[in-house]
Amino acid sequence: MPADRHAHDHGPGADHVHPVNFDPTAAEPDRHRAEPSAGRAFRLGIGGPVGSGKTALTAALCRALGAELRLAVVTNDIYTTEDADFLRRAGVLAPDRIEAVRTGCCPHTAIRDDITANLDAVDQLEQRFPGLELVIIESGGDNLTAVFSRGLVDAQIFVVDVAGGDKVPRKGGPGVTTADLLVINKVDLAELVGADMAVMVADAHRMRGALPVITQSLTRTPDAPEVADWVRGRVARVAA
Amino acid sequence: MRASAALAVELDRRRPGRTVVRALRSAAPLTLVPRAGAARPEAGAAAVVHLVSSAPAPLGGDELELTVRVGPGARLRLHGVAATLALPGHRSVPSHSVVRIEVAEGARVDYLPEPTVVTARAWHRAELRVELAGHAVARCREVLVLGRSGEPAGRLHSAVHVRRAGVPLLRQSVDLGPDELADSPAVLAGHRVLATEVIAWPDVVEPAGGDWWALSPLAAGGALATALAPDAVTAQRLLANARAAHPAAADLAEPAW
Amino acid sequence: MTDPPSPAALILADSRFPGGGHVHSGGLEQAVSQGLVSGLDDLAGFLAGRLRTAGRLAAVFAAAAAHAAARRVRPAHWVALDAELDARTPTPAQRAASRAQGRGTARAALVAWPSPVLADLLAVTPRPHHAVLVGAVHGSTGGNAGQAALTTAYLAVSGPASAAVRLLGLDPFAVNAVLARLGPALTELAAEAARTAADRPADLPAPSSPALDLLAEAHDRHHQQEVRLFAS
Repeated sequence: MPADRHAHDHGPGADHVHPVNFDPTAAEPDRHRAEPSAGRAFRLGIGGPVGSGKTALTAALCRALGAELRLAVVTNDIYTTEDADFLRRAGVLAPDRIEAVRTGCCPHTAIRDDITANLDAVDQLEQRFPGLELVIIESGGDNLTAVFSRGLVDAQIFVVDVAGGDKVPRKGGPGVTTADLLVINKVDLAELVGADMAVMVADAHRMRGALPVITQSLTRTPDAPEVADWVRGRVARVAA
Repeated sequence: MRASAALAVELDRRRPGRTVVRALRSAAPLTLVPRAGAARPEAGAAAVVHLVSSAPAPLGGDELELTVRVGPGARLRLHGVAATLALPGHRSVPSHSVVRIEVAEGARVDYLPEPTVVTARAWHRAELRVELAGHAVARCREVLVLGRSGEPAGRLHSAVHVRRAGVPLLRQSVDLGPDELADSPAVLAGHRVLATEVIAWPDVVEPAGGDWWALSPLAAGGALATALAPDAVTAQRLLANARAAHPAAADLAEPAW
Repeated sequence: MTDPPSPAALILADSRFPGGGHVHSGGLEQAVSQGLVSGLDDLAGFLAGRLRTAGRLAAVFAAAAAHAAARRVRPAHWVALDAELDARTPTPAQRAASRAQGRGTARAALVAWPSPVLADLLAVTPRPHHAVLVGAVHGSTGGNAGQAALTTAYLAVSGPASAAVRLLGLDPFAVNAVLARLGPALTELAAEAARTAADRPADLPAPSSPALDLLAEAHDRHHQQEVRLFAS
């Protein structure tokens, strides 16, 4: 392995672990994560910039997994009632399976530095629905530096979209580089916005090393089958 | 001046369902006047007693005490007839009034004094202590007015304690006065009148409210109606809104006199 | 108070303490939306009034809880403090905000300062009032009643001050100066709260905050329609 691990491109499937590295663009899985316990629901974070499609992905996962897993959702900073009704109108989840967290104008604080309000929301859902298997925690829209604390989630998905520009993966940031799964959304719009998908995907893999990347369009596959499969795998790993 | 008045009502043993005044002791300036006809009450009706301030009270240094007992199953409506003016005395000590109300099992009391106006330079401490048996009901109103019209307020400390079977339902005190930050949006938000009504009823109450009024369920049972207003008339109207939102609204409606 | 504050007091008062305080504005958001607070002068009045009402009540109970924790009281005493503070908190919105912050602080405290006292308290009141929990942490880590009162009173105004910066875009230096000017009032209030720390729970002072109560209820009502950014 070369000494400078960032001088080379990590191809998809590259499988090596970096030593401690303070480079914010460094790709490495978190080695300090708390092990999810079998006695509680698996907690999945979905983060990403404003408008990248977090709520749409959450709704898609509810549709895809709702019949096979007992699940609930925590939303952060739903600003308008239209947004708040999105999941309910989508008809994929009963309203009492959705808890809304207000973050006091600090969406990143609520998922990273002080996760109290989100943990409370998860607690409430678990009390209301004993035996919950999956709680999806959708962050408020934030910038590329926002990631979930490992004290809050067992795994996290970072969602970026093609319309945000094909340079987003290259810009890195902890969301792009360290999330357990990177989803590049709205690939059907690539041509319209002049985004080069090949560059985007290559950049993503280069920044993320071994960590997976999924490209999708919820217009073409409304139930996000690949992401749903990935989530199934993560939940099954804990349950096993 | 020191004065101690007492009132006791109970069910008449010979005429079931009728509440009679069993004991009544006025002590100036606390004068208790049973409403005409109280000697022949109707079954199920409350004994009605008016609380008349026969002297402009309280003055600085006054110690006034009123003790009220409502016997098992009895009903009492204790009314004020005119606003109480808290006035300055000659000595630089506060006036102090204590009202104690004990309500026995199955009994009901409506304690509805008129507003207390805290005149300039007044210094008054008021205390209301209500002890309810497990299945007694009570409502107690308090309307505090900061000064007569156009007048700055004096100092007032008013405390309310309501317990049911020894469990505290409500304890709160308010400190008002020229230096007490009444204008702060956190205290009275610039209003001159604070009106509250404890409604210790068995019903489960849902929170309700509107502009500067609320009906709030208390943690250990019962509810508190709160209103802030520029004047006493508005405050009473807002309290009426809160009562109307209560499941026992029909029971709480003000009777016509 | 001449004692230096305990390290626990500093940690609890730090805005970075992960106890969930940052999602609460203490009525400030509702006051802003009703046009009652729009600038620094209004904010100063809001905070001074909040300190003398809700802040004083919290300080009184924090001091009493610190005293109780230091004496390792029986569980029934924690139940009594909880019930007495409930009776002094007439609106469900205010009780919910207090208990949410108490629960959040407890979660952090159990990791940072585990003790038999905290275990006793949380066994009988799993969602404790914030002031009681903060007081108990002080008392169980060597802090005194006055320090507990000071921390709690400070938190009663620092949270809304920070919310004002976020909601109104006020100059953070000017807002910080408003807080600093409350220093003498904070010191006086903490000393006063310490004087009643040993009183029976039923006899503790019960300062009300009528406008804050109404703002808290309005905040909850309006959240149903137009959505609020803070939990309280």
